[in-house]
Amino acid sequence: MAGLELLSDQGYRVDGRRAGELRKIQARMGVFAQADGSAYIEQGNTKALAVVYGPHEIRGSRSRALPDRALVNCQYSSATFSTGERKRRPHGDRKSCEMGLQLRQTFEAAILTQLHPRSQIDIYVQVLQADGGTYAACVNAATLAVLDAGIPMRDFVCACSAGFVDGTALADLSHVEEAAGGPQLALALLPASGQIALLEMDARLHEDHLEWVLEAAAQAARDVHTLLDRVVRQHVHEASIMLGD
Amino acid sequence: GKLLSSDVTHYVIPDWKVVQDYLEILEFPEMKGIIFMQTACQSVQHQRGRRQYNKLRSLLKDARHDCILFANEFQECCYLPRERGEAVEKWQTRSIYNAAVWYYHHCGDRMPIVMVTEDAEAIQQYGSETQGVFVISFKDYLDNFWPDLRAAHELCESILQSRRERESESQEGRGREYAEHLPLEVLEAGIKSGRYVQGTLNVNKHRAQIEAFVRLQGASSKDSGLASDILIHGVKARNRAIHGDVVVVELLPKGEWKGRTGALCDNDSEDKASGEAPSDPMPTGRVVGILQKNWRDYVVTFPSKEEIQSQGKNAQKILVTPWDYRIPKIRISTQQAEALQDFRVIVRIDSWESTSLYPNGHFVRVLGRIGDLEGEIATILVENSISVAPFSEAQLCETPVNTPEKPWQVSAEEKRTRRDLRRTHLVFSIDPKGCEDVDDALSVRTLTNGDLELGVHIADVTHFVAPNSYIDVEARTRATTYYLADRRYDMLPPALSADLCSLLGGVDRYAVSVMWQLDKTSYEIKTVWYGRTIIRSAYKLFYEAAQELLARNFGIADEIPEFKNLDEKSRQTRLEELAWAIGRLTDIARHVRAKRDRCGALELEGMEVRVQLDDKKNIHDLIPKQPLEVHETVAECMILANHWVAKKIWESFPHQALLRQHPPPHQEFFAELRECAAAKGFSIDTRSNKALADSLDKAEDPSDPMVNWLLRSMATQAMSNALYFSTGSCAEEEFHHYGLALDKYTHFTSPIRRYSDIVVHRLLMAAISKEKKMEIKENLLSNKDLEELCRHINNRNRAAQHSQKQSTELFQCMYFKDKDPETEERCVADGVIYSIRTNGVLVFIPRFGIKGAAYLKNKDGLVMSCGPDRCLEWKPGSLQRFQDKITSTTTGGESVTLRLFDHVTVRISVQASRCHSDTIRLELVSNRPHEVPSSERSQPSPLLLRSDLVREVTRCAEEAQLAQDVAADAIQEEYPEYRQTKGRSLYALLEEIRDLALLDVSGDCGI
Repeated sequence: MAGLELLSDQGYRVDGRRAGELRKIQARMGVFAQADGSAYIEQGNTKALAVVYGPHEIRGSRSRALPDRALVNCQYSSATFSTGERKRRPHGDRKSCEMGLQLRQTFEAAILTQLHPRSQIDIYVQVLQADGGTYAACVNAATLAVLDAGIPMRDFVCACSAGFVDGTALADLSHVEEAAGGPQLALALLPASGQIALLEMDARLHEDHLEWVLEAAAQAARDVHTLLDRVVRQHVHEASIMLGD
Repeated sequence: GKLLSSDVTHYVIPDWKVVQDYLEILEFPEMKGIIFMQTACQSVQHQRGRRQYNKLRSLLKDARHDCILFANEFQECCYLPRERGEAVEKWQTRSIYNAAVWYYHHCGDRMPIVMVTEDAEAIQQYGSETQGVFVISFKDYLDNFWPDLRAAHELCESILQSRRERESESQEGRGREYAEHLPLEVLEAGIKSGRYVQGTLNVNKHRAQIEAFVRLQGASSKDSGLASDILIHGVKARNRAIHGDVVVVELLPKGEWKGRTGALCDNDSEDKASGEAPSDPMPTGRVVGILQKNWRDYVVTFPSKEEIQSQGKNAQKILVTPWDYRIPKIRISTQQAEALQDFRVIVRIDSWESTSLYPNGHFVRVLGRIGDLEGEIATILVENSISVAPFSEAQLCETPVNTPEKPWQVSAEEKRTRRDLRRTHLVFSIDPKGCEDVDDALSVRTLTNGDLELGVHIADVTHFVAPNSYIDVEARTRATTYYLADRRYDMLPPALSADLCSLLGGVDRYAVSVMWQLDKTSYEIKTVWYGRTIIRSAYKLFYEAAQELLARNFGIADEIPEFKNLDEKSRQTRLEELAWAIGRLTDIARHVRAKRDRCGALELEGMEVRVQLDDKKNIHDLIPKQPLEVHETVAECMILANHWVAKKIWESFPHQALLRQHPPPHQEFFAELRECAAAKGFSIDTRSNKALADSLDKAEDPSDPMVNWLLRSMATQAMSNALYFSTGSCAEEEFHHYGLALDKYTHFTSPIRRYSDIVVHRLLMAAISKEKKMEIKENLLSNKDLEELCRHINNRNRAAQHSQKQSTELFQCMYFKDKDPETEERCVADGVIYSIRTNGVLVFIPRFGIKGAAYLKNKDGLVMSCGPDRCLEWKPGSLQRFQDKITSTTTGGESVTLRLFDHVTVRISVQASRCHSDTIRLELVSNRPHEVPSSERSQPSPLLLRSDLVREVTRCAEEAQLAQDVAADAIQEEYPEYRQTKGRSLYALLEEIRDLALLDVSGDCGI
């Protein structure tokens, strides 16, 4: 009867997390042998798969080639079964295009594109299950995939969402929290330098609160970084064992 | 968060069903060591709705209650997934039990845990499963652990009984009395589409059976294009909504609209159709659903013996009558009806089925005997939801000690951080005589460059009251000191309010000071300094003495204790010094006031007159007959301090500062004022506050000072209430204070008796630390919390005003009760007509400050006519009402005309009522002013007489009680003390009166 209480008096969120707590992150790199780089990530119930090809020659029209840097091409799609109601178009709709653009901006800022002039890097991301924070999951998956492909980057790109409920900033929103309609902010961070690769918010939030929400998102992104770093090290460790070092 | 206290013998874990049904018992302060499981809380949230859930939440938040929440579903070991096919109820019980077991082991098996449940199967299944975790029923729990807690047992009985009733009733399933409420989704959709409107239900006190109005809320009133409230006519259309509920209304077609009745009428004559045509039809509707129930505790009276018998067949169920007219009768089932006959009793409403004519409730506790002073006062307190238990041990422990053996001293650390004004500044306070709690002191001095420095020093209450300490929590709940006619209930414990926080003369005290540097000639403010200080007030003056000093009349010095033991020479120099300071202060105050006047400050200077005349406030013995200029000086300094503090905290915290606004009044409310004034030939310009003030000044009838006074009181009634608010939730243009003509205003100067001031003090301290780039120690309230707090404080202030008014009325009635109106001279008095109705007039009696209705037509249809000696008597005839007069014509052709502002003679009597408060009844005796016998005229002042009224009633009550019970000594001795300490600074009084004047008191005149 009563409305959903996103943050209880005791400071718990609907799924039992505290305000700044992340969902459980599990990730693997190198899930596909054929692609140059690939990764799979689970953030809570949000699951995303990223595949990277490149750098390679420009496919299609040559005119798209850039003389001084590589072209980053991103494509986002979500599986028809990823949401509560079956999606009609898995990709190519407006939302997917926008997401693709955002990913592209993010990774153009992170990848050292000037090392590969007149070539192309393809990043394909697919969301298998969407339970809030799809952008963040995509970025994190893609980071791992790019690392797996061995493409030089300035730094990890770690993304996380944050929202604002009852005067408190919540990190890493789940689908229930997103659906409640409060402001939501997506942040992609280069954790070592603290530079922001992308910051996006399309709801109204009072200027005074922005600082808190931003800080919550940044902290969450730094937490994501430690986790991803562990995954990468683990992967490298395993790979070196395979190679027989 | 909170911790459970360590001295409990066991922890108790209530099952979900127990939390749902017996929350009231778990709310008892005696109940300790309660662990609420998250599962149980969620079941309350989902199955019992917002009201009960909020109650549970506030219980958990309240530091005074020994209970915590354990989030068992978020705990790895406690979480149990629901099994396939398992009922939710079973799963909840299983989860709670599992968590209880875990908790037991978690505490190292040291603390026994009692799980109370209503589920017999669970008791069987889990009862002996784990040692140390006992599963028993709630009834057994009360019997075994709290055999002495009688109140809890009774409450438990009464809850059980009312539940049984309800069950048996729902099985009966009789015919519908009311239409069913629509489901919530339909209501919400309807409101959005504009089909329905949402608003708060207000029942007309004087026609509770018939008329109720729905005041529209914010947006919906704009959308629907309705200017006025919506009339809900009759109980059927009200459809089980109770006064104060938030309801959803469907408008009826225009053909069925009704008008409100303008006639005066008694409450007990229920729907006696009055013959006159009602006024123009207004929007009329019917309730289709209730969004939020605002049920509280109700004081009720059981029917007398005869009535019980006549109610007949099921003697178990009894209809009780609430004290508040606006609340319908409540049906409760109890066996104690006869024993409780002569008592005022609290009941709570449980439910109101559509099959039942009246709501079902249960008995909670007894308040006191009907007609007994203590019982009636307790009634007033409960009806206004005021809870004033004595301060608890824990709260008193937090106050610092100050005894002759162990005097309180300024600590070295405070001395370092505070600015010390003890040697440099001449600080003094001006208050009414005999005042104990001094919250403000003043200082003024010349600086080396010739400029003046004005200082306002306010008691530093926040130094002693840490945020979220026990005292703080209690003060926040009380929000203000409550003043009733004969007593008061302090917001802070007496050790603070009358001693350590009070800026007494000759002792060191902590203060929060605001100091302005003023230009020596133009008095323009150059700089301002805010901060914590240590002061020692040199003189604790009273108003009359200060006024004498201002007039350089030094003879008064003998009455000031500080001057007693001084030799002539030093005495003279000190007097000079003090007189200079007071003179300077007055100069500055005049200047500031003039500046404010130019901006259009509303001169409700009738204030002093109002105080003298209006008995409702019961404070005359403090108010000197002649308003002194010193009063205004002190008041102006305080307004200045409030204003500057408001500016400061708003600048530092633009979104979370607590300010006070006074919105400009609606012009349409002034219509009555304009009409009345026109009747006397005055014109009132209400376009701006300045114009209003000017025209009110002009509307002076030299022959009758009452005219101006009544007009002013009408003007104040038309205004909106001043309110506290949080700056984050209001646009800046709305901050304006209409009455004072200031763009920003707050309350800063009386932290001893107002919680808002404590909040403002904390804000100011935080603002100072912020300015110094220091860490802000105080954790400030966010805008949302502050807004909630403001609502609470406003609400409590209203309750304080209502209770004060009701207690005064109670005293008036008690005063007149044992006087025979026919013979007693004092029961006949002079009254002024201030409003005309279709069947009577409203009369104000200046001598007793009573407002009431006097009928020109009685129930038998007879009207007043003028006898040979100009006395009025009842005769058959008819009435005719005009704009500003009413004429009664008898069949014999004689006629009497009464006009607005006519003086008449009325007889006062008391109409006793068993179930409600007694009411004063007025009867017209003659249409001429009452001639006071010369003996009475020589009485020193009518004021004295009215303060006598309270004294006399109190004394009577005391005597009655003495006769009954000699042991009650302690209470009585406090009466003189209460009277004394009621004196505070005049500024505080003025502020209070300003608030009171702004209170809507139109309810008491039978409209």
